[in-house]
Amino acid sequence: MRLADIDVVSPTSLNEALTVLHERSDRIRPIAGSTDTIIQLKDGLLQTKELLDISKLGELRYILREGSRIRVGALCTYSEIIESSVLASSCWMFLNACRTIGTPQIQSRATIGGNLANASPAGDSIPPLYVLDAMIKVQNSERARHIPIEKFFLGYRKVDLRPDELITEISFEAVQSPCDATFLKLGLREAHFISLVNMAIRIRWAEDGASFSDLRIAMGAVAPVVIRARKCEEFLQNQALGEDVVWQASRIASDEASPITDVRASAEYRRAMIPSLLYKAVHTLIDQRKAWEKR
Amino acid sequence: MERQFSFRLNGRAVSVSVPPAYTLLEVLREELDVTGPKEDCGKGECGACTVLMNGRPVLSCLVLISQAEGAEIVTSEGFMKEESPSDVQKAFIENGAVQCGHCIPGFIVSAEALLSRNSKPSVTEIKSALAGNLCRCTGYTSIVRAVQETAQKRQEGRS
Repeated sequence: MRLADIDVVSPTSLNEALTVLHERSDRIRPIAGSTDTIIQLKDGLLQTKELLDISKLGELRYILREGSRIRVGALCTYSEIIESSVLASSCWMFLNACRTIGTPQIQSRATIGGNLANASPAGDSIPPLYVLDAMIKVQNSERARHIPIEKFFLGYRKVDLRPDELITEISFEAVQSPCDATFLKLGLREAHFISLVNMAIRIRWAEDGASFSDLRIAMGAVAPVVIRARKCEEFLQNQALGEDVVWQASRIASDEASPITDVRASAEYRRAMIPSLLYKAVHTLIDQRKAWEKR
Repeated sequence: MERQFSFRLNGRAVSVSVPPAYTLLEVLREELDVTGPKEDCGKGECGACTVLMNGRPVLSCLVLISQAEGAEIVTSEGFMKEESPSDVQKAFIENGAVQCGHCIPGFIVSAEALLSRNSKPSVTEIKSALAGNLCRCTGYTSIVRAVQETAQKRQEGRS
């Protein structure tokens, strides 16, 4: 199908968009920043005669703090997220993860809601949102649903989003201190790469700074969906952070993954890189805490 | 299935009648004869089609014309002073940053986008602002130097 044969509906409000979607959910495909969808259309991976362009719905473009809750409108672009002073002070780890996505040109257009709907197992915004226990708000013309992020992803590129629904908001609790969370990714070059493995970790420091409690570790690109390394989290809980302990934890995390071989890396390589990434993540947290104490 | 779309291009109002899912790049090149932006990969990898949309660098091969309705679009041509090259373009020429020239309009736009937000970029900042533009001829050292030099000259011009 040529792009020239596709019709584009451009609603000017969320209500209008949801009404159109309600009437034509069997045949219309929503697009936002369209940095993935246009490629899929050009490659024939996606076939549709009608697109619903929601990229101009300003009402879904906000980043707010309400008490300890951070609310991000689904149509915020990565540029807007990276430049957000609200996120810089409340969740530097998430902002930092978004900074590594794509190129400046992609960041100008690509949206956080689009990244979630696209559901790539390697999507870099997703592990941070897992460890933040983010809630995804989706709406159709009649009601809204609030879905915990881990329940939103059902399988490889499958999400809990019905054809008449749009993702409208992502929300999570602010992170207390910048030394409580970090994000790391591994790729084949420094810019514009798709993660071979990525990882987000959020913890609570023990008073004496010698161990973690309340750990959350999420790993991407090592399973059909982003996964939590729950056995590793449990193992590290209140454990004194010696070298042996960290390496042992790293191996446990590696055993929790089920990576595949694809054009970017082999399953063996991905599995082998998980311990390195977790080791580095723990030491990044230790360094961040030291830097924080010295400030 | 043609429709009317209006936007601003390099400071002037333009209007085209095209199918709504034409890409902005197709409209610029085929309908408006603005050929600075190039189509190389068509998949958002190379940056040769970079233009400014409402002040931000975007890939015109991944923007539909209906998404550009009402927008302010600037291509590399938009930075020229009448028919003469801009300071960024001059710096590219003087630093030997241009060989075949195909990727350069995209680099010019990315460089202008950076300089409009950051008047004193470091080499690292320049490299990351240009990370979405590929050049297959020169290597990047002379390109980075050209952007650095422009930033310095603009600083001196201001002081």
